[in-house]
Amino acid sequence: MKINQLLIATFVGAQFTVTALADDATTNSTEAAEIEVLKQEIQKLDQKVSELETQHQAQQPVADSADKQQIQDLDQKVRILSRERELDQDAAATAAKSAPKITLGSGGFGFSSADSNFVATIHGLIQVDSRTFSQDDHVQGNDSILLRRARPIITGTVYHDFDFNFTPEFGNATPGATSAASTPSIYDAYVNYHYSPEFQLEAGRFKPPVGLEYLQSDTYTSFNERSLASDLIPGRDLGFELHGDIAGGLVSYAAGIFNGVGDNQRNTTDIGFQNDREFDGRLFVQPFKATSIAALQNFGVGAGGSWGSSSITNTLGLPNTTGGGSTSYGYSTDGQQQFYAYSSTTVAAHTHWRFSPQGYYYYGPFGLLGEYVISDQGVENSATLKTADLRNTAWEISGGWVLTGEDASYNGVTPRHSFDPRNGGWGALQVVARYAELNIDSAAFPNFASAATSASAAQAWSLGLNWYLNRNIRVNASYSHTTFTGGGAASATTAPASVSSHPEDVFFTRVQLAF
Amino acid sequence: MKTFLKILLASSLAISASAKEIKLLNVSYDPTRELYTEYNAAFAKYWKAKTGDDVTISQSHGGSGKQAQSVIAGLEADVVTLALSYDIDAISQQAKLLPADWQTRLPNDSTPYTSTIVFLVRKGNPKGIKDWDDLVKKDVSVVVPNPKTSGGARWAYLAAYAYALETSGHDDAKAKDFITKLYKNVPILDSGARGSTITFAQRGIGDVLLAWENEAHLALKEFGDDKFEIVTPPLSILAEPPVAVVDKNAKRHGTTEVATAYLNYLYSDEGQEIAAKNFYRPRNETVATKYAANFTQLKLVTVDQEFGGWTKAQATHFADGGVFDQIYQP
Repeated sequence: MKINQLLIATFVGAQFTVTALADDATTNSTEAAEIEVLKQEIQKLDQKVSELETQHQAQQPVADSADKQQIQDLDQKVRILSRERELDQDAAATAAKSAPKITLGSGGFGFSSADSNFVATIHGLIQVDSRTFSQDDHVQGNDSILLRRARPIITGTVYHDFDFNFTPEFGNATPGATSAASTPSIYDAYVNYHYSPEFQLEAGRFKPPVGLEYLQSDTYTSFNERSLASDLIPGRDLGFELHGDIAGGLVSYAAGIFNGVGDNQRNTTDIGFQNDREFDGRLFVQPFKATSIAALQNFGVGAGGSWGSSSITNTLGLPNTTGGGSTSYGYSTDGQQQFYAYSSTTVAAHTHWRFSPQGYYYYGPFGLLGEYVISDQGVENSATLKTADLRNTAWEISGGWVLTGEDASYNGVTPRHSFDPRNGGWGALQVVARYAELNIDSAAFPNFASAATSASAAQAWSLGLNWYLNRNIRVNASYSHTTFTGGGAASATTAPASVSSHPEDVFFTRVQLAF
Repeated sequence: MKTFLKILLASSLAISASAKEIKLLNVSYDPTRELYTEYNAAFAKYWKAKTGDDVTISQSHGGSGKQAQSVIAGLEADVVTLALSYDIDAISQQAKLLPADWQTRLPNDSTPYTSTIVFLVRKGNPKGIKDWDDLVKKDVSVVVPNPKTSGGARWAYLAAYAYALETSGHDDAKAKDFITKLYKNVPILDSGARGSTITFAQRGIGDVLLAWENEAHLALKEFGDDKFEIVTPPLSILAEPPVAVVDKNAKRHGTTEVATAYLNYLYSDEGQEIAAKNFYRPRNETVATKYAANFTQLKLVTVDQEFGGWTKAQATHFADGGVFDQIYQP
């Protein structure tokens, strides 16, 4: 373009010059010659312009071709980068599918294979309790601050269908004991084949399927200690159990065969107290669970029971020995003090069966749980060889109301707002109340227990306040008052007489961490 | 009581005589999706007519090496139909799911069809690619999957290597130099043959795709022969994709009989026809003659001839630290 403009300017300039000279040409031949020279110059310039134009036109396609190649190369590079990114994303997605998963949350710390066929979760339970007794001048050493439970809990699954639970206890392994209180022991250790919700087979050490309150997790019980009714329920035992939930939990069943343990006993010896086994079973229905009647959905009723027959007499089939420093077999109060004890010559004999109708009802913040237990214990006095079937009975009813409006349930309360005072969160607050009784068969006296030292009945009421700070932290405070019928020999300093000689009043507190 | 027993007996017989529903899992390599979709339907029909039982065959596809590792890791394949015998050997040796002599149990070394590696180029073949040595030119971009994960890629690699050996008087150094130059022209490695087809045909990358013969034909069918064309080099490799029943899995599933029949039926006239229609070279000569127009004749070398068998080829070229690791730098 610039060359063209130059040539045109030159040409126009030359035209002006030629015109000026032409005026004088008529008289000057020299000037004509000069004009000729100029004409030739113009022709040369014209030719040069043509050459330049031709040259320029020839160069243009070469430049276009190079640009095109460059664009194609860049296009390929962009496509390759785009595809590499696509492949990287695919590879990352594939890797994520096969990568193990780690979960950290209020439900525990979990590890899982990508396909969830292998899962392990670490849970924990720590309960720091205090018990303060009043009007107990005859009993020393029962006020205490104690580590009631300290359990690292490992649960999980292998090969999709095989669940396991391993729960050691480092806290107060023997409730109410005043010595050797923190001997580590294994509480739960079982494998559960989970074919379907309806059909599961469990083997190991776990809670036998009898008592409603006893089967409730230690994390969720309304009070620090279970009621007098649970005194007649068998504790953790070794055995096999077939269980399941039918129709989404409408019907729950469990039936098992166990070594057999005494009331409120925990089988720590890994041996049966009899050559024959104990059979335990439970059926629980929630008839309205699947209906749209919200007020009845969490109503459940059922019954549990056990039956065992001992071919030899033994002491392993008798109740727990704990409470108030006693080494006798008997039953304990809410404060874990023994108020009834079998005489030292009494042993378990023949059959022992239990039956426990039970039920609960939860609706909104309201909750109610009740249970009746018969424990029919065959006994023999090894000194007199007298025998009897002692039909001891107990029952309890407990209720609660969540003041902050959250729903109550068999599995505790989940606060709507976790405790966070800086942001106005205070957790959930629940008031709870309970009444319970335990009645000893009158045939126990005097051949198998002393009427002078042991109470023949205990009646306990309790009031409490539970503060759920969040899903993991709970703080409890409760008061329990127990009265006794019979027993309480004057000036006694050891249980059960010292315990049953006056009502028991005890104030409990608890700080609990559970995840 | 007698009546009751009669009813009970009749009910039992009725139950035992009713048709069974059988499920099979065929774990295969990347480009066989279409082949086995058609074949499975044909076999199910055949099996129903023969036994009255319904059989449903599920398919799993991916890079052959990756698929073999999945079976070793627990993927419950009743049968495997993989790209090369080495991958089924790995299942036999590492997971002991089938015996070491599995390849002797069916005709033709348990390879009911064969294939080869061809070139898929863009319409008009703008780079003028005719033979393997065109692939090492500086301005040619080659798309091929990763031989570490893809059976087809291993066949392609060995085909190129065999060409270099054949044309260099079996000078291994020259062959290595050739394969190095070729893979310098590879801008991207997919994990399987189907991925490479997507890279070349859908993403528009590269000038030539080294592909299974059937995969190249499928690309023409799917994307249009106005976009691509197949170039068959004068020399390539005889690819023999084998099949086998995974004995322990089949036994555990109770499917040994049907799994065996499933593979045997690949050798039947119908099975061979389906293979040929899907551009796998049939073993049956009659079917091969019928579909001869589908397959360009070329010189085919074998792994045994050129590389001393798959075990040696794998150890030399594709094992960690092998030739491929030495010559390929991403």
